[in-house]
Amino acid sequence: MAEYKMFEGCLIGNRIPFIEASCRKIFDKLGIATSQAPFSCCPDPTGFANFDNDGWLAIGARNLALAESEGKDIISLCNGCSNTLKLVNHTLKHDNLKKDKINKELSKIGKEYKGTIDVKHFVSVLKGELEKIKNSTVKPLSGLKVACHPGCHYMRPSEVMETDDPMHPIDLKEIVAACGATVVDYGEETLCCGSSVSNAYEDHGMAILKKKMDAVKKAGADCLVVNCPACFQQFDGKQRDLSKKFEEEFKIPIFYISELIALGMGIPADELGTKFHRTRVSDILEKIG
Amino acid sequence: MATDFEFRKQVLDMHMSGVIKYCYQCNRCTDNCPVAEVTDNAYNPRQNILNALLGFKDAIFSAEKIAIWGCTICDTCDEVCPQNIELTEIFKLLKNHSVANGDAPDFYYLQAKTIFENAKAIPSQPAIERRREQLGLPAVAAPDVNELSTLLKNMGIDKKLKGE
Ligand code: SF4
Ligand code: SF4
Ligand code: SF4
Ligand code: SF4
Repeated sequence: MAEYKMFEGCLIGNRIPFIEASCRKIFDKLGIATSQAPFSCCPDPTGFANFDNDGWLAIGARNLALAESEGKDIISLCNGCSNTLKLVNHTLKHDNLKKDKINKELSKIGKEYKGTIDVKHFVSVLKGELEKIKNSTVKPLSGLKVACHPGCHYMRPSEVMETDDPMHPIDLKEIVAACGATVVDYGEETLCCGSSVSNAYEDHGMAILKKKMDAVKKAGADCLVVNCPACFQQFDGKQRDLSKKFEEEFKIPIFYISELIALGMGIPADELGTKFHRTRVSDILEKIG
Repeated sequence: MATDFEFRKQVLDMHMSGVIKYCYQCNRCTDNCPVAEVTDNAYNPRQNILNALLGFKDAIFSAEKIAIWGCTICDTCDEVCPQNIELTEIFKLLKNHSVANGDAPDFYYLQAKTIFENAKAIPSQPAIERRREQLGLPAVAAPDVNELSTLLKNMGIDKKLKGE
C-alpha cells in the first residue's frame, strides 16, 4: 500500500492526541503507512468557511498543494478536515475561474494547486480492510453493544464525500462488526451531534444532543462509537452538563472507532490513553477483558 | 420588499454545478432540519432560501442573528431537497456577508483570528506536547505561520477580523 500524508487535524493533534495514538497503532498493524507534513488548519468547514469562502479555499488548496508536491494522497482522522479538503478539491477541480483566482494568490507564496491527489477519511480506508481487521482481532469484542455515530461530514454532502449512503450509512457499522461487537440500531444514526450550532447557541446544541443521547440510552447500547474529534468532544465532554441541565443521568461511554479496533487487536488500554476520556470507560474495558 | 439584483446574482452563482435550480417551497429542508425542530422554526432554512432566491437582502440581514447563524451545518437539507439545491452553499454566502457586515457571532471572528495568528484553529500548547510524547507520538509538524498570514493578508481577509 502506498504511503499517505497524515492529516491529524488541529483538534486531535493539539487537544486530544490519544485519538491519534490509537489510529497510528492500528495503521501499523494493518500496514497503512503514513508520513507527516507541515499542514496548517484545514480550515474548519463549519467555522472559517463561513467567515470567508475564498480564504477557506486558499488555505485548503495550500494544504492540498503540500501533499501534491510529494505526490501522495492524504489520510484524514477527522470528519471536518476531510470535509474541507474534499470540498476544496472538488470545487477547484470543477470551477476553473475559482481555481485561477486561488492559484494567483498561491503563486505569491510560491505554491500551486494542481488537483492531482485524493483525500481519504481513515474510515473509508479501513472499510477496504475489513478482512485484515477481522484477522488481526485477537480479542473479539463479543457481547459489546455498540451504537454508531459516523457524523454528518463523513458522508454528506454525498456528491462530494463519495463515501457512504448519506442517510443510511453502514461503513462504521461494518467495522464495528468486524471487531466482533454487536451493532445496536437506535434510529437517530444520522442526527448531528449539535457541535457547530453550539458555537453560537449552546442551548440548541444541547437540545439536539439530548435527542441523540435519549435514543442511544433507550436502545440499551453499552457505548457510542464515533470517527470525528468534534463529535467525540460533544458526546464525551458534554454529557455531564446535559445531565445537570435536564436532571437526568447521561453517562454513555464514548469511543473512537480506532480505540475499539485497537482493543480488539489486544493493544493495552493504557497505551491508548483511554484515561483521558471524560466519560467512564472502565466498566467497558472490564467487560471486554 | 425590495429585490437586490446584485445580491440575487451572487446567490444564483453559488451553485457549484452552475445550473439554476428552483425551490418550490415544499418545506422538506425545514421538516428535516434538527435546528428548526428544536427552535420551533426560529431557524428556518426554507425561508432563507426563499429570501435569498428573491434577492431580499434586507429581510435576511436585518432579522435576528439566529435566522442565518442557527444552522449546525449537518448538510441534511442538501440531501433531502428534491430540487437538488445546494442549500448550505447559499447559506455560506449569507454568512460570509454577515461576517463582512460585522454582525456574525463572536466565535467566528475569534476562530479566524486564531487561525491568522497560529495557522491552526487550535494552537499547540506545552501540556499537550508533553502528552503526545508520553503517548509515543511524534511532535506535530509545525505549520508556516508567516506564509499563511501573508496569504490571508494578500487577500485582504485580515481586515475582516475584529479588534484589528
Ligand atoms: S476541521 Fe477542525 S480539527 Fe480539522 S483542522 Fe479544521 S479546525 Fe482543526
Ligand atoms: S455530528 Fe457534529 S461534529 Fe460531527 S460531523 Fe456532524 S456537525 Fe460535525
Ligand atoms: S427542500 Fe428544496 S425545494 Fe423544498 S423548500 Fe427546501 S430548498 Fe425549496
Ligand atoms: S445544514 Fe443547517 S439548515 Fe440544513 S438541515 Fe442542517 S442545520 Fe438545518
